[in-house]
Amino acid sequence: MEKLTNKKSFLDTIRFSEGTEFECDENAILKEYEVNHENTSSLAIKILSIFGGFLGSLTFLGFLGLVGLYESEFAFLIFGIGFIISAIWINKKHDKLLIDTFSISIYVIGFVLFFYGLTLFKVDENIGLLLVISIALSSLFITQNYILSFISILLISGSFLTLILSNNAYNIIPIYIAINGFLITYLFLNEAKIISSYKRLSKLYNPARVGLIFSLLFGLFTIGKRGLVPISENYIWLSSIVLFFVIFYIVKTIITINNVTVSKKKIIIYLLTALVLLPTLFSPAISGAIVIILLSFLVNYKTGFVIGILSLIYFISQYYYDLNFTLLTKSILLFLSGMVFIALYIFTSKNKTINEKI
Amino acid sequence: MTKIDREDIHIINRHSNWSEKSIDNLLKEEIYTTATSWQKFLRLFFITLGIGFTTTGVLFFFAYNWADLHKFIKIGIIETLIVSLIAIVLFSKINLDIKNILLTGASILVGVLFAVFGQIYQTGANAYDFFLGWTLFITLWVVISNYAPLWLVFIILINTTLILYTQQVAHSWSEIFVFTLLFSINLVFLIAALAGKRFIPKLNAPAWFSNIIALATVSFSTIGICFGIFDKLEVTFMVLLIATTLLYLLGIKYGLKVKSGFYLSIISFCVIITITTFFIKLSNDAGMFLFISLFIVASVTYVIKTLISLQKKWKN
Repeated sequence: MEKLTNKKSFLDTIRFSEGTEFECDENAILKEYEVNHENTSSLAIKILSIFGGFLGSLTFLGFLGLVGLYESEFAFLIFGIGFIISAIWINKKHDKLLIDTFSISIYVIGFVLFFYGLTLFKVDENIGLLLVISIALSSLFITQNYILSFISILLISGSFLTLILSNNAYNIIPIYIAINGFLITYLFLNEAKIISSYKRLSKLYNPARVGLIFSLLFGLFTIGKRGLVPISENYIWLSSIVLFFVIFYIVKTIITINNVTVSKKKIIIYLLTALVLLPTLFSPAISGAIVIILLSFLVNYKTGFVIGILSLIYFISQYYYDLNFTLLTKSILLFLSGMVFIALYIFTSKNKTINEKI
Repeated sequence: MTKIDREDIHIINRHSNWSEKSIDNLLKEEIYTTATSWQKFLRLFFITLGIGFTTTGVLFFFAYNWADLHKFIKIGIIETLIVSLIAIVLFSKINLDIKNILLTGASILVGVLFAVFGQIYQTGANAYDFFLGWTLFITLWVVISNYAPLWLVFIILINTTLILYTQQVAHSWSEIFVFTLLFSINLVFLIAALAGKRFIPKLNAPAWFSNIIALATVSFSTIGICFGIFDKLEVTFMVLLIATTLLYLLGIKYGLKVKSGFYLSIISFCVIITITTFFIKLSNDAGMFLFISLFIVASVTYVIKTLISLQKKWKN
């Protein structure tokens, strides 16, 4: 209970600095701490329950296939809806870590059955996807359980992408990326505003953060590998422009954090940023990964940071692999970019005494 | 006052009329990255990208296999690069992290050197002896620098060498034997990473490093056992089974001792996978699949329950 006393003293500090207007429900706070204490989960536990949930649903679907349920379309719909509702209901009723694996399983199975049942009924695929999106979206408002919300967000963005791909509307992908880029930046940079204005939904903040990172990555993957999606070259750079804006905005925030006030320096920083970004104009995936890295580092979010670094490495390799140049040209390009980065390193090291950064 | 984390702010916010501005200030002061860590991060980020891009540039240059370039010049360029990098590492006064990154770059260049050698003298670019030479010639740097990323490169090289050797030379080795071998090699490194500092204080491996090695070790053993379940019985399988059981027991004991949920979760997950494979071997009709799906959900839930109660115990 030593921890709880610490929290109380922390509360007192806030009370002191906020003045008389500050009101809080101390009991509710302590109660939530206790519930959290029961349910603290490490990343390992979260991953374990997600893996377990997916494996469980896969084998269950295997069972359904073997038993021959695939013949009755009505059973599909009923089972699907039943499973989704019970998953949400169980989570709402007992928001305990323990049942996560179970509820993820039936949630995922529910959606698979539901969607498959709809296609058996010859319902248009687009309508099916829109239904999936709206069900997943409304579940976010009913239960704010971490993992269920995370999966719902993945379902929503996955369905949007499938909508785009199955209608051959590939040129909308830049818009998908742009919207995700804006959303993610808004979410990361306005944490205080978001959690204080939507108190009831503030539990959604953490799952939404990681969920949006993955949504953005989904979009980036479709264009990160050349030829995967037949998107026209004339549109690809559009998403880059949006992401460049986002990056410049983040750089502006970083400049403020680092107290760079001399305007000549600011201009140099912006120019260098542009110099680094320009070669990636036709590969928005790279700038997207940079957005994730910068934002996650800015708000000190480790999981996002690691995801960002890994995707950056992947997208850069893919980019050079896809380039239609001879190895010689590629090697010169790589060598030059390496030199630019080393120059940047020297630039940042030299200026470290006067609080410099790009 | 103790350290505040993000969760504290979120929880108190939910039950009070805390103003947006104060939350914002507190987040910026206590949670978000400060100017100093930004500078540190950016320097590391730039130098890593710089060295990374430059060495890949060099690598691609030689992969292009320029016919007009004389072999003396080809090998000469790489050797000059390696020597100058090493000279910087040895004689300059830059900080240790940067030196280690440079040394990692030089180690990659050794690989390029061997590849070019193979190119000129037609020994092939993916022959196992190419990787063997590369591994051997960077060993000294790896040991001296004791830099975790470089160790990782080294271990990946050893694994690659071994896998290529089994594909190119040792055709008679069974799959289970290969996996047992990979498992044992990584196990040695895992033990060194975890227990090494007891004997040599300098061997203090960071957690991400030992976690990656642990993941590799456990995966190799699990894949080996799953192969073994479907193959005909052989002696190596028994050896692997016994060794794995021992390792898992030790791993659980270690996980409990250092209070790490990571080891406990990967071990239990692998045990669940192994048992599931065994069930599928027994029968693959519908009833079995239903049983397996229930088994997975139940066992994972049980593992999580145990982990949570352990965490609670550790915290108090």
